Amino acid sequence: MTPRLFELMLWAAGATVLISAVSILIGLAIGFLVCAARVSRTRWLSTPAAVFVSFFRGVPLLVQLLLIYNLLPGFGLYVPSVVAAIAGLSLCTAAYQAENLRGGFMSVPKGLLEAADMVGLSPWQQMRRIRAPIALRLTLPALINEAILILKASSLISVVGVVELTRMAQNLAASTYRPLLFYSVAGGLYLVINWLVAGGGSLAERMLKKERA
Amino acid sequence: MKRRSVVQALVGLGLVLGLPLAAHAQDALERVTSAGVLKVGTETAFAPFDFIDATGEHAGLNVDLFGEIGKEMGVDIAWVELPWDGVLPALEAGQFDMVGGPATITKARAERYRFMPPIAEATVALLKRADDDSIQKPEDIAGKLVGGGKSSAQLAQLKAFGESLPGGVEVREYVGNNEAYADLAAGRIAAVGNSLPNIAYVASQQPDVFAVVQPPFGTKSYFGYIGTKKPEDQKLLDAVDAAILKIKADGRLAELQKKWFGTAFDTPDHVTDPAL
Repeated sequence: MTPRLFELMLWAAGATVLISAVSILIGLAIGFLVCAARVSRTRWLSTPAAVFVSFFRGVPLLVQLLLIYNLLPGFGLYVPSVVAAIAGLSLCTAAYQAENLRGGFMSVPKGLLEAADMVGLSPWQQMRRIRAPIALRLTLPALINEAILILKASSLISVVGVVELTRMAQNLAASTYRPLLFYSVAGGLYLVINWLVAGGGSLAERMLKKERA
Repeated sequence: MKRRSVVQALVGLGLVLGLPLAAHAQDALERVTSAGVLKVGTETAFAPFDFIDATGEHAGLNVDLFGEIGKEMGVDIAWVELPWDGVLPALEAGQFDMVGGPATITKARAERYRFMPPIAEATVALLKRADDDSIQKPEDIAGKLVGGGKSSAQLAQLKAFGESLPGGVEVREYVGNNEAYADLAAGRIAAVGNSLPNIAYVASQQPDVFAVVQPPFGTKSYFGYIGTKKPEDQKLLDAVDAAILKIKADGRLAELQKKWFGTAFDTPDHVTDPAL
């Protein structure tokens, strides 16, 4: 492999990381909102949130991407390739992250909240000082898991015209007739990226534990 | 309560999706010339028409020919790269102005899309392993497992040809032609059916691995670029059409064909009645 081709692989790995990272963050923000709506006692908040989760968790990501890229322009909404990719990944991961967070919030012991009521903490204070910290700690491993899943699922976004790591490996394997080499390099790069993500996750977990002690 | 929320959601969805429909469809030629960019959708896995070369650059007949078309029209070319099965849906969705595949001109496609003047011949031939002596002529694939690119006109021709042989052939469909070539090299299939320009190029790049089985078979067909039949696209496609014919008339197209296929093709200016 020439340095130039390896540079192209690294560039494509960068595209994979950047698009995945942006999608995971946007997905986390949407996930928070959806989770909040989902646990709300108001029906007109919880029902759409439940529909959102069941749709984006129930339809394959590949189909979602094709729908966003090919269907929305039919309604006059032009969606460029990168936007379609980020939208598809974000909405998909938001559905999973909303459920992860919901699990976290449900696990906050009721007794803690009753005690908080007793000492007169407002709902916002309870959220900031009790519920959110506990839920975040509980869902951190699931969030890291989800981040790794999205990094790997991002190989699908080539269907909406974004060249990422897998697509670049396919292209270069085809032009050099050396598929083994390029797929091995792609696999290695994914592995390194995901090690870093997992390592960052463990570090964050340890820091949260220390903070608590 | 529950029913009302469903109705509210539907009304909201209708508003979001329906409003932009009222937007006026702008003429494509005006849009392209004022932006100075012609957007072309393609798959970079179709050597020698369109591929990433060994130095990592986007190359092929498409890149050169659209370079000339861009010069004629005074616009830059912006490429959008997708897997082939995503290209035509995205064209209809308006993600780009036209398709630089190119695609084989067939009756079914010509009904739905507008084809530009042919740029090469697309008749099917077989690619085999160079060391495989059991295939000397196309008929020798009878009873063997062969491959072709999914949703390609050549695949349909290959299947029809296979049915005409005693014992038939088993045809395996691949997402891309390159995967089929890789399986052929690995010995998983006996031959790959694709257009002669494509496989002649593959064999010329790897003479130790691949060889072309002569002669081509099936119906004579041609490759052309694709646009839509939407009224707002027609003026733009007329301009592209005229540019290609000019490039063909002054010999530039023949030069590019020689550069990429090793030979020039005698192609008609328009295919009005595709044989396929």
